Amino acid sequence: MSLERFNEQIRSAFATLEQRVNGSANGPLHGSRRAAMDAFSKQGIPTIRHEEWKYTNVLPLLAADLKPSTEPAGDSIDASAIGVLPNVDAWRLVLVNGFLQPTMSVLPTGPEITIAPITDELLAANGRVSALFGTITPANAHPFVAVNTALTQHAMLIHVHGVLDKPLHVVCVGDARHGDVLHTPRVFVLADPMARATIVESHHTIGDHQSLDVTVVELSAEAQSALRYIKIVNDVDHASHIGSMAAIVARDARATCATIVTGGRLVRNDLAVRLTEPGAEGYLYGVSVLDGTSVADNHTVVDHIAPHCHSEELYKGVYDGKSVGVFNGKIFVREDAQKTTAYQSNHALLLSDAAQINAKPQLEIWADDVKCSHGATTGQLDDDALFYLRARGVSEAEARTLLTHAFAAEVLDHLDDDAVRDHLVALVDEALA
Amino acid sequence: MSTMQPILTIDNLHAGIEGREILKGISLTVNPGEIHAIMGPNGSGKSTLASVLAGREDYEVSGGSVTFMGKDLLDMAPEERAGEGMFLAFQYPVEIPGVSTANFLKTSVNAVRKYRGQEPLEAAAFLSLMREKMKLVEMDQSFLSRSLNEGFSGGEKKRNEVFQMAMLEPTLSVLDETDSGLDIDALRIVASGVNALRSPSNATIVITHYQRLLDYIVPDFVHVLVNGRIAMSGGKELALELEAKGYDWVKNTEPAEA
Repeated sequence: MSLERFNEQIRSAFATLEQRVNGSANGPLHGSRRAAMDAFSKQGIPTIRHEEWKYTNVLPLLAADLKPSTEPAGDSIDASAIGVLPNVDAWRLVLVNGFLQPTMSVLPTGPEITIAPITDELLAANGRVSALFGTITPANAHPFVAVNTALTQHAMLIHVHGVLDKPLHVVCVGDARHGDVLHTPRVFVLADPMARATIVESHHTIGDHQSLDVTVVELSAEAQSALRYIKIVNDVDHASHIGSMAAIVARDARATCATIVTGGRLVRNDLAVRLTEPGAEGYLYGVSVLDGTSVADNHTVVDHIAPHCHSEELYKGVYDGKSVGVFNGKIFVREDAQKTTAYQSNHALLLSDAAQINAKPQLEIWADDVKCSHGATTGQLDDDALFYLRARGVSEAEARTLLTHAFAAEVLDHLDDDAVRDHLVALVDEALA
Repeated sequence: MSTMQPILTIDNLHAGIEGREILKGISLTVNPGEIHAIMGPNGSGKSTLASVLAGREDYEVSGGSVTFMGKDLLDMAPEERAGEGMFLAFQYPVEIPGVSTANFLKTSVNAVRKYRGQEPLEAAAFLSLMREKMKLVEMDQSFLSRSLNEGFSGGEKKRNEVFQMAMLEPTLSVLDETDSGLDIDALRIVASGVNALRSPSNATIVITHYQRLLDYIVPDFVHVLVNGRIAMSGGKELALELEAKGYDWVKNTEPAEA
């Protein structure tokens, strides 16, 4: 398959979907799809000449005959083939090829949360969602957001009104049993004032064909709310993930976003956190543990728009084999964002000579009364620490394992939810084993 | 000579780093039950000796031999030395973020037990052993869940070294400048911990620049290291004489002994 073929597949899928919209062709949802299709045609698939895609070449993914999914999977899926969160008591929202699977989902029913597909009717009834949907991740600023917006059929609203009692697990499944598949899960999270929730998003592929999921997640944390959003990509070697997530964080609200990558062919995570009102806090954590020829690319933006906001960012990666890591971390401090505190650090451990990390911190500061720092390290395990452990009787191999685990797991210490964190620690340990 | 087997025999040891010879022929025998103090000015080779005994790979041995409990010490990896009963208390204990003190000790103790053909300790037994040994150095249990040495004060790090020593029950402990950076209270705690671990079957080498520590850990023998050689040996009173006269006194008398 070529780039032309891929573009043709997108256009053809869009045309198929457009025939189906019937009476809602003039509704806001389809209007935004059509605009996104135009935006995609204008932008095209980025090549490595594009600054934001310099180290991540998506063109080889398009060698597969990726067919956009335009309807729910016809036959049943063995739920046991899909990773859940063992030992974590969680609600479950299952999207197969981007479509809600009600029978596999276990959704909360209480008054503290509303979960529903986003339709024109829903947009007409919910002014806040209508005002924000599609604006937090604009389709004209990112080619894959455009692809998602043009093709997605079951965008899901997760509207948190109160305190969610246990984590909500959004399970994104790609069904690649019958052919190469492109699917476009879409989630919109709105946390009302004072609301609290932990959401876990994970990606899975069943079947032996290639899969690419192009996921878009928008979050709005209203005043004094607290959202914790943990994304896990631990997929098979023939699955790729291109995810774009953006959050706006209002007065005295807090958004914590963690991105854990332990498997997949190519994983691209775009994450933007915009602190729009005073007192907003953004926390960004990332752990990548890669081997083989996997690529994990984390592009983050922390945007300090309002004064008196605080952000912390900590990303770590362990790269073995011929794996490639990319970290691009931008921090913007706008002119009005006085009294900003913003900290970023990113550390990489290279376990083999052929592994590589490309790290680029970027700070743009227009305000003059701020505290910002960034730090980046790349290297091998500390010889002094290795010797210390060996002098205490620990074998060299075990000492290396212990130090590598500790290096990666340190990031997870920042997550408060014990059950989810334990799961992530186990996932990282398994990836390092 | 006594009929018992020495714990450590160093014979004409030459060693250095990056092609520069630092130890220029050291010989020393340590028998069970003994405490040896090795004193000397900065740069005399004290820490090099500790590093060579523990097996730090940056150092090259260019001559001589070291026999530990009848085996060739220089042939062993650092972890094998620990398994055989060698313990180095570091001058600068390393901070290891993300590894809790308890988890580290469990790994260490069970690795050494495995080397010695013993079963790993069960969680409950391990915990009670840790509690017992922590008392020796007046360490609070909150240290166990903290990352190893991370954010510990100088005194806490050194107490942690003696705590580990208590957990591993070594045959030979080498204390490398354990007194550096300690106030008098910490020094007293560390020293009383070391003294409590003394037995007729183990031995201790105390490496120090100052006589002060030897008020608390009283040595049977004092050796003065100057320029990579033992320039003078004597009983505990030698340390006091050094304190009074300074290292220049030894340097000046060295040629007469050579």
